[in-house]
Amino acid sequence: MEIDWGLFVELFARTFTFWWVILPAILLGLIVGAIPGFSAANTIIILLPMTLAMEPEIGLIFMVALYASSRMGAGIPAILVNIPGTAGAAATPLDGYPMTKQGRGQQALAISFVSSVFGGLLTTILALLAMPWLSQVAYHLHSVEMIVIMLFGISLIATIAAKDTLKGLIAGFFGLMIGYIGADVVYETPRGTFGFLELYDKVPLIPALVGLFAVSEAFAVIEGESILTKRGKEAMQKAGWAETWEGVRLAISRWWHIIWTSIIGLVIGVVPGAGAAIASFVAYQQSKTFSKTPELYGTGHLEGLVAPESANNGVTSGTLIPLLVIGVPGGATAAIMAVVLQYHGVAVGPDLFDSQPELAYGAFTAMAVTYALMILTVLPLARYMSKITVVSTTYMAPIIISFTLVGAFVPRAYVFDMYLALAFGVIGYVARKTGYHVAAILIGVILGPLLENYFLRALRISQGDIMVIFSSNLGNIMWVLLIISLFVPMYLDKRRKRLSKQAIPITTDC
Amino acid sequence: MSDENGQNSGKPEKHSAGAELVLPIAGLIFTIYYFTTIIDVPWTAQVSAFFVGTILIGLIIALIVRTTLAVRRGDSSWSVAPLIAPKSYVPKRLALLGLTLSYVFFIEWGGFTITTFLFLLCAMLLLSGGKNKGLILSLSLALSVGGYFLFIVAFNTRFPRGPVETMLHGVF
Amino acid sequence: MSDHENDFSRRLFLKGAGATAGAGALSMLPIQMAFAAAFPEQNIQIFVPTRAGGGADRNMRAFTSVWKNHLKTNFEAGFYPGAAGRVGYETYMGKAKADCYNLIFGNMGPEVLNWVVKKPTFDLKSFLYIAQVDQDPGIIFVSRKNKKLKTIDDIVKEGKKRTLNVGVSRLAHPASLGVLALGRHTGAKFNLVPLSGGRNTRAGVATGEMDFGALPSGSVVRKQKQFDIVAVFDKTNPLPDRMKKAIVVNDHFGMKLPPLYAGARAFGIKREAIEKHPDRYKVLTDTLQKVYTDPAYKKAVIKTKAPWKYISYGSPADCEKYVEYISAIGQEYKSLLTGKS
Repeated sequence: MEIDWGLFVELFARTFTFWWVILPAILLGLIVGAIPGFSAANTIIILLPMTLAMEPEIGLIFMVALYASSRMGAGIPAILVNIPGTAGAAATPLDGYPMTKQGRGQQALAISFVSSVFGGLLTTILALLAMPWLSQVAYHLHSVEMIVIMLFGISLIATIAAKDTLKGLIAGFFGLMIGYIGADVVYETPRGTFGFLELYDKVPLIPALVGLFAVSEAFAVIEGESILTKRGKEAMQKAGWAETWEGVRLAISRWWHIIWTSIIGLVIGVVPGAGAAIASFVAYQQSKTFSKTPELYGTGHLEGLVAPESANNGVTSGTLIPLLVIGVPGGATAAIMAVVLQYHGVAVGPDLFDSQPELAYGAFTAMAVTYALMILTVLPLARYMSKITVVSTTYMAPIIISFTLVGAFVPRAYVFDMYLALAFGVIGYVARKTGYHVAAILIGVILGPLLENYFLRALRISQGDIMVIFSSNLGNIMWVLLIISLFVPMYLDKRRKRLSKQAIPITTDC
Repeated sequence: MSDENGQNSGKPEKHSAGAELVLPIAGLIFTIYYFTTIIDVPWTAQVSAFFVGTILIGLIIALIVRTTLAVRRGDSSWSVAPLIAPKSYVPKRLALLGLTLSYVFFIEWGGFTITTFLFLLCAMLLLSGGKNKGLILSLSLALSVGGYFLFIVAFNTRFPRGPVETMLHGVF
Repeated sequence: MSDHENDFSRRLFLKGAGATAGAGALSMLPIQMAFAAAFPEQNIQIFVPTRAGGGADRNMRAFTSVWKNHLKTNFEAGFYPGAAGRVGYETYMGKAKADCYNLIFGNMGPEVLNWVVKKPTFDLKSFLYIAQVDQDPGIIFVSRKNKKLKTIDDIVKEGKKRTLNVGVSRLAHPASLGVLALGRHTGAKFNLVPLSGGRNTRAGVATGEMDFGALPSGSVVRKQKQFDIVAVFDKTNPLPDRMKKAIVVNDHFGMKLPPLYAGARAFGIKREAIEKHPDRYKVLTDTLQKVYTDPAYKKAVIKTKAPWKYISYGSPADCEKYVEYISAIGQEYKSLLTGKS
């Protein structure tokens, strides 16, 4: 796979001429990304008749643009109203929403947009250049290595529950148990389903997401007039363009953070089946681990927002690599893109680079151009979008409840899923009221089945030998890194506390 | 996020630890139920869940012990007050829950548009205490009709459909 | 789920919003109640017990895109994946009306094997397959990047030295049973690793985590650049041009395995629907048979890169025979499928 610079330049120039396809796709992507239940994959399915009627090149550009912008769209409600549009944005509200409550929703949106766009742009270009090497990642990250990656994500439970580790762990492990509902992957035995057929295929993510975040939030916020704090409301009323620029400036000041967290996303995205949720959890966890101010995470910290947003956009470029290089889609959206291309007689796989390089490389140039156009279109909107937070909860709560519950219905068209979302809403409400972190429960629900899947596969491969989890060199290196990333912050934290106690001899009652 | 613990100002209160046990006890009951469903299955279907479930039970027992000791020391009480605090919102919250349940129950037959309109109208009136009727009526109408056009007509999404959607199917 | 809707497929079949609106207008006319005899007077609902975008979806789309012209109505697909097809069948039997407007489209092979493992909540006699669409043999395939395993002999030889990991869609699958039988016959050790579906299985083999894989041939033959098909569980190699390296397992190893059709997709219906509406049932079967000889269908199948040679009509009697035969094989390997010996 030689790099042909002339072709790249030509492709970029050509892709820009399709701005009339990309701009509507961006707009649509932002909307469907922002509404739980829609997602790029579902939207591409809904729009199949349209994409099938297009020329393959235009169809591909449209799908790629929709995919990339939906990822960014998912962050908007996550920041503004604490409702991630997709599981990939589940780590975004951890610091995005506290910023909104402080009246800095506009800055938070700008930070998210800049991180998403630069993370996405960078990883797309990296993907384009490093494809021959990146495509090898999937050959090395097998079940055993994926178990460790999952544990990296799950260890975030302990990280975000720093205030009361015991309660944090209970929330996370409860989530994991809920994630284990459904048929096992080897013998298809239904487990913990309460006899509901609708739960045989695991707990559906959107109802869990909608219930834990949106429904429970709606029931909690009705106590106040708006979701903002008093000071936050004052700040919002004064806000103008300057706040957007402040957000841009803040995000750019963390350029290095954007780079490395988006690369985490890219690498995880290359592994078939891993996905944006795990990437953003791992990026957040790593960001906190290496931070000098880990105690600020969860309070509206800049880096806590930059990390997941850069990472989940890094995944977007990553998932295209296995699709194009080994013919195996990296995720659901990529799989549906493959179906559309197939309708046009385009067989995805390594030969595409020889037979139709304009399509194979074009997928990446389309993504890069999308990101470039996206920042111009979306940034000016931050100011207006953030105004939604001043809407009174009298109107906001019922709207959130009805539209997100219907969103829970959309992916599978089971009314059961709406009841399920409501049940998760009750769990989320109880959790919020009694000091448990809903994000910890959700991490468990999302990663539990993935972890079990890889774990059972590894056990099956080793024919029951549990030591298989230490059987690979790469895996063992990753285990060591996992242990370091878990214990070093603990040690540093203790040291910091000790030092601060020595410095300020105040006795506190913790 | 969970900053609404409803603690009253004034005299210092004991930590209401009882409320904190609601979720763990639900988790405990669920885990035990889950275990009963995997007793008679191949070990591959058991191993992960037994591992995670056992840790969860251990954690919950630790929390119960911690809470019991704190109550004995007199630092905490078994009160579940934070769960329902502030009390003045209990009727509104229960009514909203009832409305939401009815919404899900009726949407299967009534379809998205009419059921959403009625839900938004009733829920907003409930929360506003009957104020701003005109605004609420127009907002509910705009959102449900807008939702119909955007999601059902334009996107042809699988939203719940009922008599209104069927009737209008031929028109749009 | 009263509103079994998956409108994208209807839209797909209609190819245009205008047509959608037209059909919608037609279906809402109350006057239709008066002409009960005119079947069909509304869209046909297809329950698919696997994920959207999978092999059954592709197959069903190609078929119904032509059938709709003969039946003069449109099709709406709903996907109900989960527990090896169990969710789809249980949902169909539990919720679909017995009115000939509701059909199921599944893969008889793995799905019937599934009933051997665990009986469904409905009576199996209350349901029958009415038309088999394709007959796709199970195959063994390797990644072209695999330097050691290039032929079936390499596989068997290596399997005698160490246990090989075999990527399969699921345990209860005819292709999986084929690999197991081969292992028993040759003494090679094969460890089946179920990876949930064709896509994941190909991924497992492509990334080298699995030594080789076993699937229906249609799922792999489209990916000739990545994979080599090295053996086929059929009487003969049905596609000598596209599966050049494939040997016929029975001939090569002197075995007497019955053909293991890993892909045997078929439409099914509730028996009660046929008893209540024999006239409607006749319309359904008469029109669907016309699809097989319609050149448009051949074009649609070839467009999906599936081999046209696999398409053949199987009558309800043929389907019943197949179900009996695959159930018998399932009984033989029941311990493997349940994980209990």
